[in-house]
This record gives sequence, structure tokens and C-alpha cells, in this order.
Amino acid sequence: MSTTELQAAEAPASVMQAQNLVRHYRVRQGLLQPAATVKALDGVSFTLQPGRTLAVVGESGCGKSTLARQLTLVEAPTAGVLRLDGRDAAGADKATLQQLRQRVQMVFQNPYASLNPRKTIATALAEPLVINTTLSKADRQARVLQMIERVGLRPEHAARYPHMFSGGQRQRVAVARAMMLQPAVVVADEPTSALDVSIQAQILNLFMDLQEATGTAYVFISHNLAVVEHVAHDVMVMYLGRTVEQGPKAQVLGAPLHPYTRALLGAVPVLDRTERLARGPRVPLQGETPSPLNPPSGCAFHTRCPLAVARCKAEVPLLRDLQGRQVACHLLDA
Amino acid sequence: MSLLEVRNLRVSFNGLPAVDGVDLDVTAGELLGIVGESGSGKSVSMMALMGLIDAPGLVSADALRFDGHDLQVLSAAQRRKLIGKDVAMVFQDALNSLNPSHTVGNQVREVLRVHLGLRGAALESRVLDLFERVEIPAAKTRLNAYPHEMSGGMNQRVMIAMAIACEPRLLIADEPTTALDVTIQAQVMDLLLRLQREQGMGLVLITHDLAVVATMAQRVAVMYAGQVVETEATDTLFNQPRHPYTQALLAALPEHNRGARRLAALPGIVPGRDDRPPGCLLAPRCARVQARCTGERPKLVEGVRCFFPGGAA
Repeated sequence: MSTTELQAAEAPASVMQAQNLVRHYRVRQGLLQPAATVKALDGVSFTLQPGRTLAVVGESGCGKSTLARQLTLVEAPTAGVLRLDGRDAAGADKATLQQLRQRVQMVFQNPYASLNPRKTIATALAEPLVINTTLSKADRQARVLQMIERVGLRPEHAARYPHMFSGGQRQRVAVARAMMLQPAVVVADEPTSALDVSIQAQILNLFMDLQEATGTAYVFISHNLAVVEHVAHDVMVMYLGRTVEQGPKAQVLGAPLHPYTRALLGAVPVLDRTERLARGPRVPLQGETPSPLNPPSGCAFHTRCPLAVARCKAEVPLLRDLQGRQVACHLLDA
Repeated sequence: MSLLEVRNLRVSFNGLPAVDGVDLDVTAGELLGIVGESGSGKSVSMMALMGLIDAPGLVSADALRFDGHDLQVLSAAQRRKLIGKDVAMVFQDALNSLNPSHTVGNQVREVLRVHLGLRGAALESRVLDLFERVEIPAAKTRLNAYPHEMSGGMNQRVMIAMAIACEPRLLIADEPTTALDVTIQAQVMDLLLRLQREQGMGLVLITHDLAVVATMAQRVAVMYAGQVVETEATDTLFNQPRHPYTQALLAALPEHNRGARRLAALPGIVPGRDDRPPGCLLAPRCARVQARCTGERPKLVEGVRCFFPGGAA
């Protein structure tokens, strides 16, 4: 995403736009210690067009799930702008929020935990309609059956309970529930990482088919780079609450610039033998992700970066345009 | 001679088979990868080897031999001498496998005391040496840490230290990196590989991650619904898979669908313990199914369990 694109995003073409989104948490560390601030999300910006998929990539503690909570309007960001359908969501009042929440839905990682075990599939799917629409019971039922078919389940599944389904089928139900209100954006947090490979392929196909048919935009959070490469149009790589590199998939994954993006891609085992040999021996990143409670000074990645220089320790690098994407690294400064 | 020899291993729970006639061989110093989806029986078969299947589970086998010892006739006491010393296991979730109320140092010391009878200074230097060998930074202070004070990657290193404490001849690693981040996964995998080479251990790596197996294993066994459906040298398996399940599994990977809008998904789901079809277990999902497949169950012949192996996926 370039600056020109960011400006163009002021036009109604974008369904979701985040500018410098920040979310801090206060955490108590103990009885006598002062409360500390965790900068879980520290200035994230992006623009999402209809029918596009933005993949968010990063390791534990990078702020992926905090981002998802802000985007789905479950929490209010500490600072920053979040626009949904061109309307301001970050500072919205309760009534506006309720309207806006219909426009963005979520699919969770674990379909065994995200469905109410006491509700039939039909009830679970009809619930968003009961709360948010004035549709008659018959209309609701028709919509539910239509959606059940659309996600590849059969009409007789409507009366069943979640425990009667396999993980893949449950995830289909979760996707169906997210699509019931025809949202503009679906935020999917690791939607296939609890599934087996053959089932993962089925669910990814479902996501792709629905996007093609409805033009829904996706924010797709995943640690699986092969999956990201398959579904994403744009990729955002996060490290300790900040974006280190973001832009079109071809640039970020095809020709990564940031040392962290490179390390992440380099750490993934490569399936194909010729590709593996061509890449040479992999050099794993040293050390672990620092605690977000006590992040390193300057560039948060400098403690693990093989290329770090003195400046990295002192100064926080800013995102800037370079070779068709945005990247935050001092070493790439011209 | 094989270090580990498994013939026709069966494990059932309440009469329903979880592992259904598994044959495996591991030679000394070999790295065997076992891949399969949930419920394919890969973990259960290794638990059976370790003697970790409790009632109502039933284990039977035509042969279950480790280094010449018949594991089925060993007494419990003899078995305990072998397991944990010559055969060790690393589990997926390190935090749940470690005891939360003992320091990690003490948990490794216990292994050394019980199996090697080490005491005093010899014990201390050996523990420290182990922590350094698994590359735990500031090893000396970490000895006194409790599992909850360490990261997932560090706990997994402790588990590995415990497993290699007695220089086992066979190490079974059950999804050792699944719970870890990618960069940490790469570190732990490299560590396991290095230790395996240094100590000449046989290593059985159970995983659902085909890419991990492709990079690490010398030989791969693919499991489906409690059976080994194909076993082959790694490169051959990935380049010329013969079993339709292996072919479908590889075809379903996003890596093999670059540029395609849809992934080649295998329809349906893995049959459960109570609804296994009478013929070939893959028959209901198989693209190449024929009349014979639904009535008769194929055997593992020349490394593949299929009446009509080969062909393009």
C-alpha cells in the first residue's frame, strides 16, 4: 500500500481504513509493583478494498489478535482512526457502533470453542438476523437454509448440534454465521490452523468462493505463510505491535526487504527439494521474541537482527515507501 | 538390523481399532517421519511402543522389538529400565508435560538419578552440560526456574534435555514444534537434527507438517485411519507418491497450488473409529476407487497399501 493508495482510500472505494491504530493495555504486575503498559498495538495503518484480502503475519505477541479485536469493534482503540464504510468507528457512539458491528464479522481459530453447544446450527445462524434485522421467522429460515447450502452443508444439518459435526464442518458453520449479515469485512483469526491439511484446503476454497461471489473483504490472520501466499492480495508483517513491512503479496513475500520478513520466510521449511537446494542452508533466527511488557529500545527487532547497527538500538524506524511496499528499517535508508 | 521393529501393531479402545496393523522399522541413526491427519493413529502407535496405553486400550502385535528386546514380554520393571533411558519421547505441549511444581533443573536431575545413578557434583555438571547442549541461554540460572517462568521454546528445550539425558538410542518426538512460532520451530528442529547426528540416535518424528518431514526425514511413513498407507524414502515419496491418499495430501497443500484460485481438496473426512468402511479405508474419498476397493482391504505391498498404486495425482 503506497501513500497514493492511502490518499485514494479517502474515496468510498475502501471498506475499511485504519490510520495509526494504537491499543495499550494496563497490566498489574503484582501487589506492590506499579501497573505497567503493554503496547500491544502501536501504530498500524492499512486500507482494505472490497473483494480484497489483507493477510496479517507475525509470531505470538506481535499484536495480531489485538488488531482483530479493534477491527471487529469489540474494543475501542487507545488512539488512531478506524473507518468502516467511510464512517468513523473509533470514536463512534453506542448506536452507531451497533450498526457498524454488523458490517464486520469474525471467524475464530477453534471451531470447537466458537459454537454454542446448546444451540442447533439453524438457531446459531438465525441469531444475527433476530438481533439485527426485522425479518419474519419464515424469511430468516429461508436465509439460513440458503447460507447452509452456500457453505457446502446439507439442509438436514440445520437441526443438528455442533457436537455432531467434524472440525471442518464446524468451521463451515462458523463461516456461515459470519456471512449471515452480508458483512463488508470478515476478520478471520487463524481459521484453518486447527484443521488438517485436506480439510484446510476445503475451508480455504470456501473462503475464496464466498469472496468471489459476495465481494467481501477479508483480514486474514495466519502464521502459515503458504496459506497466506494462497489467499492474500496484500500482506502485513508485524513484530511486537508494529508493522515492519506491508504491501502487495508479490513484493512482501516474493522479494522481502525487512530482515524480520526475510527471517520469517527463511524459517519456513520448504517442501520442494529443488527450491530448497536453491535457497541454500537456512540460518535460523537467534533468540526469542522479547516480552511486549519490556520491549527493546529503538527498532524492537534489533536484539535478534543479524544486521543491527548502533542506530537501530537508539531510534525507532518509520514505515516508508520502498520498491512497491512500505518497510520500517534503518538499514534500507537510502 | 533394525533398532526398532514393529509388525502388525494393533491398538483398540472398547473394541474399536485406533491403530490397525502398523508395520514400522527404524534403523540406528535413521530419521523416520510419520505423517498423517488427526485420528490417523500416529501418536497412539508410538504411545503403545512406550507402554503408555492404559485400560480400556488393548495393544497387540506380531512383533514389537527394540534392539533385540521383545517389548511385549518384558516385565514392568524391565520395561521401565529401558523406557526413558534407551527409548525416550518428546511430547507436543512442553508446558503440560513438565511438572509445574518442580524446577526444570530438578526434573532433569530426576532422570539422571533414576537411570544413571548420578549424585553430587557429577549430577550437577551433567545437568548443566545438558542445558548447554540444548542451547538454553544462562543455563545455570535457568536450572532453578519453574516451567511457567519460561517460554514455550525454552520448555521444549528442557523436554529435549530430559529426553537425551541418558543418550537414548531411539528418540520419539511427537509434534515437537507444533505449539511453537515459526522462527522458534526452526531453532528446535535444527537442535533435534544436530543431536540426532551427534549421538547417532534413531529419531521418529511425528508431525502433520509435510514440509518439516520433507526437509528432515530420510524415510516417511504416511498414516491414514490407523494404517500405514505408504512408506518410502523421502525424496521418492514427495516426487512420486503412489498411494492416492499421499497424492491427495500433497496436492491439497497451498505450496502445490501456486497461482491456482482453488486448492485441490480431498472431499469428505477421515472415518472415525466406529465408522470404518469394510474395504479400503480411503475408498469413500478416493478419486480412483474401483469395485474391488469397496469389498476388500488392501495390504501394504512394497511400501504402498493400494490395489491400484501409482498414476498421476
